[in-house]
Amino acid sequence: MTLPDARPAGRSGAIYDLGYQGYDGQRLGRRAAIAALFWSSWRSAFGLGRSGKSKIVPWGVTVLALLPAAVAVGITALVGDAVQPFTYDNYLPQIAITLSIFVAAQAPELVGGDQRNHVLSLYFSHAIQRIDYAVAKLAALTAALLVLTLVPQLVLFAGKVLSTTDVLTALGNEAPKLGQILLTSLIYSVALAIIGLAIAVFTPRRSFATGGIIAFFLVTAIVAQILTSMDAGDISRYAQLIDIDQVLIGVTYTIFGGPGFSFGAARNPPSLTPGLPGIAYVGALVAILAVGIAVIVQRYRRVQA
Amino acid sequence: MANRDHPQLIDSHEVARVAGVERQPIRNGGWDEIGAAVRSATLPAMPLIAARALTKRYSGGVTALDGLTLDVEPGIIGLVGANGAGKSTLLKILLGLIKPTSGSVSVMDMDVTTQGTQIRQFVGYLPEHDCLPPDLSATDFVTHMGRMAGLPADASRERTAEVLRHVGLYEERYRAMGGYSTGMKQRVKLAQALVHDPKLLLLDEPTNGLDPAGRNEMLDLVKRTGTEFGIATIVASHLLGEIERVCNFLLAIDGGKLLRAAPIASFTEQTGTLAVDVEEGAETLVRRLADHGLTATLDGSSVLVDLPNADPYDIVRDTVDELGLGLLRLEQRRHRLEDLFSERVGARAGDAEEESAHDAA
Repeated sequence: MTLPDARPAGRSGAIYDLGYQGYDGQRLGRRAAIAALFWSSWRSAFGLGRSGKSKIVPWGVTVLALLPAAVAVGITALVGDAVQPFTYDNYLPQIAITLSIFVAAQAPELVGGDQRNHVLSLYFSHAIQRIDYAVAKLAALTAALLVLTLVPQLVLFAGKVLSTTDVLTALGNEAPKLGQILLTSLIYSVALAIIGLAIAVFTPRRSFATGGIIAFFLVTAIVAQILTSMDAGDISRYAQLIDIDQVLIGVTYTIFGGPGFSFGAARNPPSLTPGLPGIAYVGALVAILAVGIAVIVQRYRRVQA
Repeated sequence: MANRDHPQLIDSHEVARVAGVERQPIRNGGWDEIGAAVRSATLPAMPLIAARALTKRYSGGVTALDGLTLDVEPGIIGLVGANGAGKSTLLKILLGLIKPTSGSVSVMDMDVTTQGTQIRQFVGYLPEHDCLPPDLSATDFVTHMGRMAGLPADASRERTAEVLRHVGLYEERYRAMGGYSTGMKQRVKLAQALVHDPKLLLLDEPTNGLDPAGRNEMLDLVKRTGTEFGIATIVASHLLGEIERVCNFLLAIDGGKLLRAAPIASFTEQTGTLAVDVEEGAETLVRRLADHGLTATLDGSSVLVDLPNADPYDIVRDTVDELGLGLLRLEQRRHRLEDLFSERVGARAGDAEEESAHDAA
């Protein structure tokens, strides 16, 4: 298909204008460009429009994030309400490692290639500005993570409602939980996206970025664990605040309250060290995110294009 | 005419004329037309680019631009200078990619530092370096870049098909660009610079890495784009021959300073020197011409005669005949673009190296 503008049948001749044409149509400007960059980045987070190979990791991890919810719904359907392995309080902590893997694998995909292939100079010479690029990429990774955080919880929600005999009543009972589902998903997605990008923006090398992100999650968790188990007074008490998983659990716990983690104390990884007020977790999260955003913005303000 | 390299393209006017069909005239105004349109649109005459004491110092202490002041009218402008003369720096400042240390510059009457976003909607840029993601197809990439310039999705797809055809990329455009040849990559780079129909095209070494045939095709393409479609174009190159072929105006910069800004013709205009080539006996000829009162010098195998107000042609002819020498050539010398740089380039070789090292970093 290289011939546009074919005349209707019945005419003996057709004119094909294959020369360069001017463009007098709309120019939507900066906002549209940011939106377009957001969508294309979101698609590339899942390897959409790319080769089959680049879909394996994101789709595999997405399935891993969804699987527990799907299985839980299946079990509930078969056995009934008696067994409920997951609640809205503990689902995201349970799949935290899966989420970290997604960030480690796909954050470099979003920002590394543009640096590696020197595409940044093209972006920055178009309608968008440096800060816009950072915002679009951050929004795209957040939106991609929302698929992994929000969808499984909605599956749980649908399962709970549909497995009852009186669907309408169940819907009425569960509906208030939608706010919690949405907000916890958003908090997790934003936080992990910011941390992942803040590390990934520093290197065009994909393997370095992925390694760096995994190392960050591992090292902070291990250091927090060691310090917490030491008998060092306040240091031990506050050490958990450098472990992003603990901080996220603390924040959602603070906001939505309740014991929440109903999946049996022994197999319950998110055991909160008692004694820290909720505000400490919220403050820690705000601090981590502020530093992350500052790092990203600063990087794109200075990066050579 | 320009389509001879693309036999598969049909000149729309030709077809329309042959078929006797009236059609909308497509945009193919020549330079005068475009210049007039631009001038009449904004009175008084608006320079395409106006720089005032533009200076850029990199943090390493390298001064890439040093108080550059110039006004450029629309056209196909050649920006020449040795490697590291400040060409890429000037282009990047025009794009708003880097900020000038001091001084000001405006493009199409918009200030680069404050109205960068507006300017960039109408500017296409072909960078010197590779800038194509290897895992994307040319179609996907150029469409994406069209949207980055603010085009709606549908318009961007249509324009992509058009510009890729314009640059001569056909079936290959659906393949991942990682497998493209350098020539194809340069074409895609030109296509992405054209996809949003810019008013100003900035081409940084557009023939970089191309073989002679690819070079010719790219230069034809650039010339065609600039002349037939009325897109003001700045071509940065260190190859004077290319500039001479494509451009109608020349900006020569050296060491971050403006060396000269003038129409190409004035660089190659006739000099006040007559060059005489004879088979042998050049020294004798010089002496004899001096006897006749002419200022003659020996330059290699040629005898150069200063052209005074009086006409020396007859004297030269008679003198050659008198000496019984075989006359090979008798012509008025033209300036060559090379003359512009010949004395200066050597002196600055050290600085140039330093700066290109900085560019690479």
